Amino acid sequence: MTATTVDGPIGAAVAEGTLPGRVWMYANYHCNIACTYCLTESGPRAEARVLGAQAMLDVARQAAELGFTDLGVTGGEIFLRPEMPELLAEMSTYLPVIALTNATLFARRLLDRIEVLAGLPVALQISLDRPDPDTNDAMRAPDNFAKVVAAIPELVTRGIAVRIATTVSSIDDVELDRLCALHRGLGVPDTDHVIRPIVARGRAVDHGLGVSAAVSDLPAELTITADGAFWSPFGPTVHGGLLDTDLLITRTTAPLAVPAQALLRLVEGQPRGADSTLGIR
Amino acid sequence: MSAMVGGAGDLLIRPGQVPLLARPYYADGDPGPIVAALAQVPELLETAMPFLGAALGPSGIDWRTKEIVIVRTSALAGCRYCVQAHSVVALDAGLSHEEVRALRTDIAVADAFAEPRELALLEWVDVVAGTGPVPDDARAAVRRLWADHEVVELTTLVGATLLLNRFATALALPTGPDTAARLATEGLP
Repeated sequence: MTATTVDGPIGAAVAEGTLPGRVWMYANYHCNIACTYCLTESGPRAEARVLGAQAMLDVARQAAELGFTDLGVTGGEIFLRPEMPELLAEMSTYLPVIALTNATLFARRLLDRIEVLAGLPVALQISLDRPDPDTNDAMRAPDNFAKVVAAIPELVTRGIAVRIATTVSSIDDVELDRLCALHRGLGVPDTDHVIRPIVARGRAVDHGLGVSAAVSDLPAELTITADGAFWSPFGPTVHGGLLDTDLLITRTTAPLAVPAQALLRLVEGQPRGADSTLGIR
Repeated sequence: MSAMVGGAGDLLIRPGQVPLLARPYYADGDPGPIVAALAQVPELLETAMPFLGAALGPSGIDWRTKEIVIVRTSALAGCRYCVQAHSVVALDAGLSHEEVRALRTDIAVADAFAEPRELALLEWVDVVAGTGPVPDDARAAVRRLWADHEVVELTTLVGATLLLNRFATALALPTGPDTAARLATEGLP
């Protein structure tokens, strides 16, 4: 295989905007809560599907070498892995990291350990869907709202960059205004608040939630999991306990150039397969 | 862990779950169980299929000859899926019922084949697809009637067929309903 570097085709594609700059990793699939719209059917009894720490560091290093610009880490609840604060810190030596968390595990001990991220290019993106406990917790978990609004100021005070992610089918202006007032009061400005739709994959399907998302609807963000490389972080979803493969790119994830080049080939609309006309079945 | 539990059907990628790199292979509908299984590993599929296409598909060697090799090899390997699928293909390629039955070891080769080149080829296939060493005299015999490039290509075809034989047998790939119906019509099991 031809070695690819930041000056190679992947780096060029990222620089010209053909490929998104962020590489995502699914650190794990298990979670301490089970949201009704969860893409991955995560929960306490979900299969962990852990992407090993060394594998994550290798992805981070190779992503930088290839010319990607950012890293994303998601799950599952990533802080169920005790090594996560130090792992995120080390990953950020390669590229800036955004890490998704439900922020319900930030008891004193974890808060102390997460101080290692202060001042580093690591942002924690915390889920907060509604400005009221009842409506927020109905789709997430009991006491979720209380834990989140308690954790955010603790993190901000410690110098940890925090973003808020609101995942909803719809939200009216009044409720959104109250939600924004809430996150501002917690120390998170509007520029660090994202609102995204529920996608009809995973557990959301069983609850009749979300919008359908075809491959053309999803940015081609390379996403690495223990099961392979996918088109988007919305790709490696789980439904009925089975991993969805419709957005699978390759099972090979190392070296990262393999799925990155396959992704670029797909983005450029040049998949192979003309030999299928040979009738070899 | 993946969906690979239970019977062979669980191994096959379902239509709504076709990975991106595998989608061209599904463009004309059901691609068959070999593709549907290999689609579990898309990068393997898109590497394997061009090779398998070159080895088993149209080439400088005529269709009839290639199907003689494929059916005979599959029969010696005991591959139910490949024997059934390629018995039909062999008939389409112009082989007679008797010839197909001989390739499947139902009757003696000498009772169905008489052409010296084909007999030499079948002796070569029987050696290559078997176990153990390949005697020099067997190699010399086939080279007397077949050009060097043909020997190389046909030997590769035996090897590629054996790969598919073990793949299809190990994964218990299901015979398609169209193939089963055709075999029944033709009176072949």
